[in-house]
Amino acid sequence: MKSVQWIFVPILVVASSLTLLYPNFAERELELAVRKEFKQLPEETRKDILSNFAERWKTDYNPKGDWQIEPDPNIFPEQDYYLVKGRFITSAKINQLSQENQELILEPKNKLRPTLVEEYIFGGRPLAIRLGLDLQGGMRVVLKGDFDDYTSKLKDSYTKEIEELTRKKADTNLSEKERKEAQDKLKEIESYFELTPSRKLAELEKAKLIIDNRLTNQNLTEPQVRIQKDQDSIEVSLPGVSNSSQILDIIRNTETVEYRLREPSDSNANSRGTYHDAIELEEMTLMNQGKKEETEIVKFQNIVKQKLGKDEQDRFLAAMEKKYNIPEKYKLYVKWSRANNPKASLLPREFVVLERAISLDGKDMRNARESYDQNRLSYYVSFSLTSQGAEKFFDITSKNVGRQLAIVWGDKVISDPVIRSPIAGGNAQIDGEFGQKEATDLANVISEGALPIPLNVLEMRFIGPTLGIESIEVGLKAVLLGFALVIIFMLIIYRLSGLVADIALLVNVIVLMALLSLMGFTLTLPGFAGIILTVGMAVDANVIIYERIKEELAAGKHVSAAVAQGFENAFWTIMDSNVTTLISGILMIKLGNGPIKGFAITLCWGIITSLFTSLFLSRMIMDLLVNKFGVRKLQIGFKKLESKNV
Amino acid sequence: MFDFIKYKYVSITFSTILIAVGFGVTFGKYGGFATSLDFDGGLRAVVEFPENVERKNLEEYFSTKNLEAVLVLMDKDKNDYQIDIGLGSVDQIKQLYIERKGKDSIEAKQASAIDALIGLLQEDFKLEKKKILSANQVGSVVGAELTSTGVSLLALTLFFIMIYLSFRFQFKFALGAILALIHDLVITIAFIGFFQIKPSVPIIAALLTLLGYSINDTIVVFDRIRENAGNLRDTFSQVINLSINQTLSRTFNTSVATLISVVAIIIGGAVELYDFAYVLTFGIILGTFSSVFIAAPLVDIYDTLSKRWKRS
Repeated sequence: MKSVQWIFVPILVVASSLTLLYPNFAERELELAVRKEFKQLPEETRKDILSNFAERWKTDYNPKGDWQIEPDPNIFPEQDYYLVKGRFITSAKINQLSQENQELILEPKNKLRPTLVEEYIFGGRPLAIRLGLDLQGGMRVVLKGDFDDYTSKLKDSYTKEIEELTRKKADTNLSEKERKEAQDKLKEIESYFELTPSRKLAELEKAKLIIDNRLTNQNLTEPQVRIQKDQDSIEVSLPGVSNSSQILDIIRNTETVEYRLREPSDSNANSRGTYHDAIELEEMTLMNQGKKEETEIVKFQNIVKQKLGKDEQDRFLAAMEKKYNIPEKYKLYVKWSRANNPKASLLPREFVVLERAISLDGKDMRNARESYDQNRLSYYVSFSLTSQGAEKFFDITSKNVGRQLAIVWGDKVISDPVIRSPIAGGNAQIDGEFGQKEATDLANVISEGALPIPLNVLEMRFIGPTLGIESIEVGLKAVLLGFALVIIFMLIIYRLSGLVADIALLVNVIVLMALLSLMGFTLTLPGFAGIILTVGMAVDANVIIYERIKEELAAGKHVSAAVAQGFENAFWTIMDSNVTTLISGILMIKLGNGPIKGFAITLCWGIITSLFTSLFLSRMIMDLLVNKFGVRKLQIGFKKLESKNV
Repeated sequence: MFDFIKYKYVSITFSTILIAVGFGVTFGKYGGFATSLDFDGGLRAVVEFPENVERKNLEEYFSTKNLEAVLVLMDKDKNDYQIDIGLGSVDQIKQLYIERKGKDSIEAKQASAIDALIGLLQEDFKLEKKKILSANQVGSVVGAELTSTGVSLLALTLFFIMIYLSFRFQFKFALGAILALIHDLVITIAFIGFFQIKPSVPIIAALLTLLGYSINDTIVVFDRIRENAGNLRDTFSQVINLSINQTLSRTFNTSVATLISVVAIIIGGAVELYDFAYVLTFGIILGTFSSVFIAAPLVDIYDTLSKRWKRS
């Protein structure tokens, strides 16, 4: 390695690495967005919220005063954000600030301003190294797909077709061929209900996509969603979030929107269906006896008011279905509405009996939007239908003129208009007694699509909660302390050569970190362990080289020859030991998951960077020292070794 | 020059004793490895306690009941605590609940461990039901992930390393390296059991680090043996001995440098990383020991044996 010009390679590498790493240690600016609605709160409430925020800013959020905030947290800012300046503003901190001050701060509008590097070189893409939950704290939820529930829902949507096909199959008037076709089709449909692992995976993928979307709308910084194949579950990691049941609800929300026909009414003009009438009669009797509290609907309302949960509601409805002998073909629902006053709460008001078969479901709808109807002073949701959906909708509405078509949102019937005429064209709207929020929610459910499978919380854990962040800081400091001590140790043992090794070591870590941040890698504790091992191996490589040079010097070689020979001799040793470790690292990346993978990725890249620094960079510096700057005495170890034939 | 080969049986016996003692104590005295929520699963409840209940009250409560619980303060303002109870204490909880409700209480006998825990907490702290914010049986996440992939991963890694080393060196070196690696892992696991260190993600990281470190260390010695093997004047044992001695200062310096950074974690007071650091400290010392006293001597033993077979 004679040509000195090569020195520009490492200099370039270090310079670009430092540029990449700049956003990690630079002072950054965060726009902490303030809610517009905040201004409309009563003065007293606003004061309380602001002083609480100011108080916590001093004690919890920024106890050491590392960050600046403009204006003072006691004052409502003129722009619609507080400007926070400082180093190391983590996503955990941003999430904590937004979650704990929800009346004041509007999460989706928070903005970490990009640094110059991110702005101009990467077009605004954030570059800072992401920290895993174990390093910055947060919430981790594992949700298991409930495939039993999924299949029963799926069966519902095929009820009509199955009925039809079964009839055809048994119909002796039809030709042999047609009956055979019906039978085949029936078999095919039945096969839909058998869930193979690959189908389960496909459903989980869909669910993952939807959860991703929902979380993006929450604008949580750096949420992570991944599928755990072997457990049929989805893992969601939310840095910095501590026990936010609100977010959990958003993730798990399996509400769907479906159209279902009401049971047909019989000839009687006032009738709304046989079973409906039977229930109505019983309720009226009780009311007339002054036993309002004993009516089923009041009992059901109580279940809702006491928040006993959906299971309790389902049990109640199942018992009622049994009591009134409602056949399998139909299903009992509850219609929710408000009392006359539009500000009254949405409550169950009436039992309705709907066909079990789903006429039209969320898959057929899209582009939903909420709008305000000036005339009726309420919100409605308009949407368009897919071409297939439009066909179905036209078919249903033309065949069932005069019947009621109920819109079921989740498990609530929200409206059940009478079909007056066939609806063609693929546009429709849902009128209900909506407030703005409800209309928005409904529109979201239609647009995003519902979760394909209901998800149960398998487990939920909080890692390094608010208080734990401090201990993690201590951990990072300890690791840095160790690094510093290693550098001092090398200097003491190998003096000038030690300094070369230290430079190589520093460059190694800088390049490694830059690579990781370029890849968007999330650093976790095992990842950190990988870096520690890398540092160890980089030190080792240098030690091997120096010991070799020392041997050559002891054998009486000229310094420059000894250096060259030392590197030569050490080369294959270093290669062998690194390649073996690399093999295990690559296997860990391929086969391992979670912690093992994180460890292996840092390790593998670390090996590559340390090969570069120890075999290329160190050598170049040593060559320069010996051949250009005329260093004649290399002190390696405590014995002064001088070459004899200078 | 120290004669390492001469004492090979001493060092191998020493290792065997370490393994025997480690596992003996682990299973004889403790009945197995320590349990942890990450590995074995367990119970977890998040409870809002009354204001006057502090951490030390809770610690006292669980220790007098002989229950091992890990407490995490979730929300300072509301006094929410997360209580983690490993599988090891689950039976004890049920027992306590049955004693509380009376031996004949069928209800208590049928109650699940989580019901029992809630029942006890509610009575003892006079909590309303809604103060129990969440309570569930937590699955073993890391443990399940690891047992499903760990063993096959290790076997495959060893296999590929063996191929590489057989190709670059000779089969006997590959065998020696791999036995030394298994040796290090087994003793470290015995160490984890002996001190009842709770298995966790950082411990896995430590084991993996150790694996990488130990291979690295062994290869360096082997490389020197290969280099010196060209010198035909010496017997194979002498070559090994010479090589170990020649690389000794490198082995020592590297180990010290690595140890420094690990010990810094302990001195620096990073409580969360203590287990990681303990295992790694032990592992580094062991890895150094094995690359000098175990790996190369094993190669020597294999070499002697294979020569004897050829002769007969």
